[in-house]
Amino acid sequence: MTRRVVIVGGGTAGWMTAAALAKLLPGQCAIHLVESEAIGIVGVGEATLPHIRSFNERLEIDEADFMAATRATFKLGIEFVNWGRIGDSYIHPFGTFGPGGGEIDFHQFWLRLRQQGMSLPELDRFSMACTMARMNRFTPPSRDSRQLDSTFGYAYQFDATLYAPYLRRIAEAMGARRTEGRIVTVQRDGETGDVTAVQLESGETIEGDLFVDCSGFVSLLLDKTLGEPFEDWSKWLLNDRATAMPCHTGEGGVSPYTGVIAMPYGWRWRIPLQHRTGNGYVYSSQFLSDEDAAAALVAAVEGERIAEPRVLRFKAGRRTRSWVNNCVGIGLSSGFLEPLESTSIYLIQAAITALLELFPEKEISPVDRDEFNRLIDVEYDRIRDFLILHYHATERTDTAYWDYVRTMEIPDSLSEKLELFRRRGRVVKYREGVFLDASWVAVYLGQRVIPQGHDLRADAPSPESLVAGMRKLASDIYGLADAMEDHGAYLRRYCPMKDAA
Amino acid sequence: MTAPKNAGAIREVVVAGGGLLGWSAAAALRRKIPALRVTVLPLAPPADALAERIGSTLPSIIEFHRDLGMSDGDALLRAGCSLRLGTEFDGWTGGHPSYVHAYDRYGQGIGTASFHVHWTRQAKLGAGAPFDAYSPAAQMARAGRFVLPDDDPASPFAQYEFGLALDPVRYPQMMRAYALHLGAIERRGGLAGVQLRGKDGFIEALALDEGAALSADLFVDCTGPRALLRGALDAAFEDWSTWLPCDRLLLADSTPVADPSPLDRAIAHAAGWRWAAQSLSRTSHGFAYASGEIGDDKAAHILRGFAHADPQPPIALRQGRRLQPWLRNCVALGDAATMVEPLEWTNLHLAHSAIDRLVAMMPDRDCAAVELWDYNRQCAAETTRVRDFLALHYAVSHRDEPLWRRMRDMIPPDSLAHTMRLFAERGRLPFYEDETFTRDSWLAVLIGQGVIPRRTDPLIESVPLAHSEQAMAAMRDGIARFVPALPTQAEFLRSMQRQAAR
Repeated sequence: MTRRVVIVGGGTAGWMTAAALAKLLPGQCAIHLVESEAIGIVGVGEATLPHIRSFNERLEIDEADFMAATRATFKLGIEFVNWGRIGDSYIHPFGTFGPGGGEIDFHQFWLRLRQQGMSLPELDRFSMACTMARMNRFTPPSRDSRQLDSTFGYAYQFDATLYAPYLRRIAEAMGARRTEGRIVTVQRDGETGDVTAVQLESGETIEGDLFVDCSGFVSLLLDKTLGEPFEDWSKWLLNDRATAMPCHTGEGGVSPYTGVIAMPYGWRWRIPLQHRTGNGYVYSSQFLSDEDAAAALVAAVEGERIAEPRVLRFKAGRRTRSWVNNCVGIGLSSGFLEPLESTSIYLIQAAITALLELFPEKEISPVDRDEFNRLIDVEYDRIRDFLILHYHATERTDTAYWDYVRTMEIPDSLSEKLELFRRRGRVVKYREGVFLDASWVAVYLGQRVIPQGHDLRADAPSPESLVAGMRKLASDIYGLADAMEDHGAYLRRYCPMKDAA
Repeated sequence: MTAPKNAGAIREVVVAGGGLLGWSAAAALRRKIPALRVTVLPLAPPADALAERIGSTLPSIIEFHRDLGMSDGDALLRAGCSLRLGTEFDGWTGGHPSYVHAYDRYGQGIGTASFHVHWTRQAKLGAGAPFDAYSPAAQMARAGRFVLPDDDPASPFAQYEFGLALDPVRYPQMMRAYALHLGAIERRGGLAGVQLRGKDGFIEALALDEGAALSADLFVDCTGPRALLRGALDAAFEDWSTWLPCDRLLLADSTPVADPSPLDRAIAHAAGWRWAAQSLSRTSHGFAYASGEIGDDKAAHILRGFAHADPQPPIALRQGRRLQPWLRNCVALGDAATMVEPLEWTNLHLAHSAIDRLVAMMPDRDCAAVELWDYNRQCAAETTRVRDFLALHYAVSHRDEPLWRRMRDMIPPDSLAHTMRLFAERGRLPFYEDETFTRDSWLAVLIGQGVIPRRTDPLIESVPLAHSEQAMAAMRDGIARFVPALPTQAEFLRSMQRQAAR
């Protein structure tokens, strides 16, 4: 019954996969992970989405212990600066606008009153997560869904180079094996084309039934061995480089949110951890040289630099299939979307969840494989449209870069969504998917996509009662946030990092 | 206070159709968008409008009423409705006992795996109780008993929902009175024709007999399968007869029983299936059949034998959906949009769902293509999965007659094939947006009709068999012990009346 699972590559994807399989399919698979310290990992400090909490919970990871070990901070959302116009700022919150629930979206009432010419606070004043982020506060959400302080979620900002070793301890304690070494050959079955073994530089051969490709951009199995084609999305997502450089945390402080600042030829991230702040400039090499990007990053960061800028190269898109023969690609080997909305670890997690649910027998059923690939496609496609929206919905005209993305042709699936929002603020609803209504609303309104009308059902209540209700809501939210602990103080009390080893 | 600057907004709506559906649409429009002027042309519903005629409804009707501001008591006491917990399917797979599809959770997950995975593991060992033994509502229904779901979410009797059995006379009357109370206007008259605008083909007005005309920004067609308004614009239709073979329907009503069962029965027959549904106002019977298998006279004879009542003239069923229920300024609801056999009682549910969607997505007078596209896309997604769920009953049937052998061998539509394939492989159910029936409903039918997954999901293997058997026995006992003490439907309704009288 036991399947031999060989994971090719350590790093975040490899060790997340190893830990999840070891923990959740005990006794059913023998896990063998091969990694080479000489190759190194891409992790540059990770901002995550709230979904990671359920992953950690399934692995029975203690939150405070995990946060201390990875020097993590809390994350309530992402602040986007200079996107609609230079000088603009909005927060994409992990949570709702308004009290949540109800058949009519909160922003419809807000739009209605605005369109009637009433002056109202900005929409983010009606969001717990936005308000807490702006005030630098943190307390975990209430579990009682009737309470206002249950209307936000949170994720983490952590050091990815520490997350992988943390998971490695869990995986190895559950029986996963690790071999250090560089793979030189991949052996395949002559008839089926399945991968049968990988051979290391040392001569050691590791056989397996199922291979998980976590080799990163190299894509050793999916691309180099099986030749699965890559669907290139760079006509919409131009950026193909990033230069990364950590610095001491300065005036930005240990904020409970990630910063994403639009730049002349791309954007810059700011990820505050407990001990330092991660920075990077994501740009298009068509428009900007590596040297100029590094110089721009150095000029922009807030504190003394800890390392020199380091350049990463990539291309937006994904492999047509992520699971081919007996090889499952998880992480960068199967595709890449820039970390504008912190989706990298989410995509790894989605693939692991799908693999757990569709875990094959020794003889792999095409039913499982096809379903896995269908699920991954849905994830990629939805994130892709959401990312393109950020570039397309802009009024910036300051560089040729912004002129291109502002005027480029976008996928039909996105132009329909945009048009529906422009007409009466309608958000195309999904019950499942990574970014739900509030995320789309935040980006549309934050980037000046202003609806002409609103949902007519929002006209039912009297304006007086609506305005009074909204005033009370904003003041309740402010009051709750104001009573919360300072983010930094909460971290020091709850999960202080251990001294650097 | 300045008025909202919605210069292009729809202000005038005409609803054609004077049955429960037309009045329900009018009530919802007035209640949710008070700025609309809503005029109802109360054309008598035709005999083949199933959303009007099939009294058994799904639980969504409760929420529909609440959204309109009607209490459960209004529907039950003032309109003579009674309660239904589910349907018993008998004879769909030869040799298998009957099964109950209740609107309930079937069992509770144990450890890391869903309940049905545990049930499957046990079943593959040749042991265990039927799947519906783990549904409190199914067991209540079999015993003819009813209580409202428990407020305590931890109780096993907290998760089910219930539908209503409508009184065919009092319910439409109540809905009409309610719509009028909300400000809908009734304009009596006969329909003589539909006048289209030259430049864009929108409906300009309805021509009434005696020369009058009824104009509006938006026309809502609740006139049944003939779609007197929407049918004037186009006839593009997707035919489902490959998967849903019944093309004729007979209905018959007999006198009510004193204590109606909350469990309807759907019994497979060589030529289709027939049903019996008890309620306070009547016992309704029906027979859906394939005309290629049996003639109308023979079918009527069979139904008369069971119903002890004379069937009404047969209804022609053309199962399928209008490709664009909303075109230009005319939206079709109910049978004018989708026509399906009453198996699983989705006729009124689909109409209610379309009303909710219409209200939520009300466009401007120009009825912009992108907004109608989104409406039609959602309708298509919803009705397609309803079609799949109904077709499933045939696709996983097991009977020897020619009709049933054909159905078992048919190639299911892609989305249903996907569901069947995944389930048969490892008991997994794929997720679809806009799904009417819950995972438990799919499981009730799949497992009830004898589909057992080929493999047991590996996620279960960390739970020892003895442990899951013990947990399963406790669930069964918890239900079996509790049910006999519950009131019958008649007892329950009497106690509700007593409370209302206080």
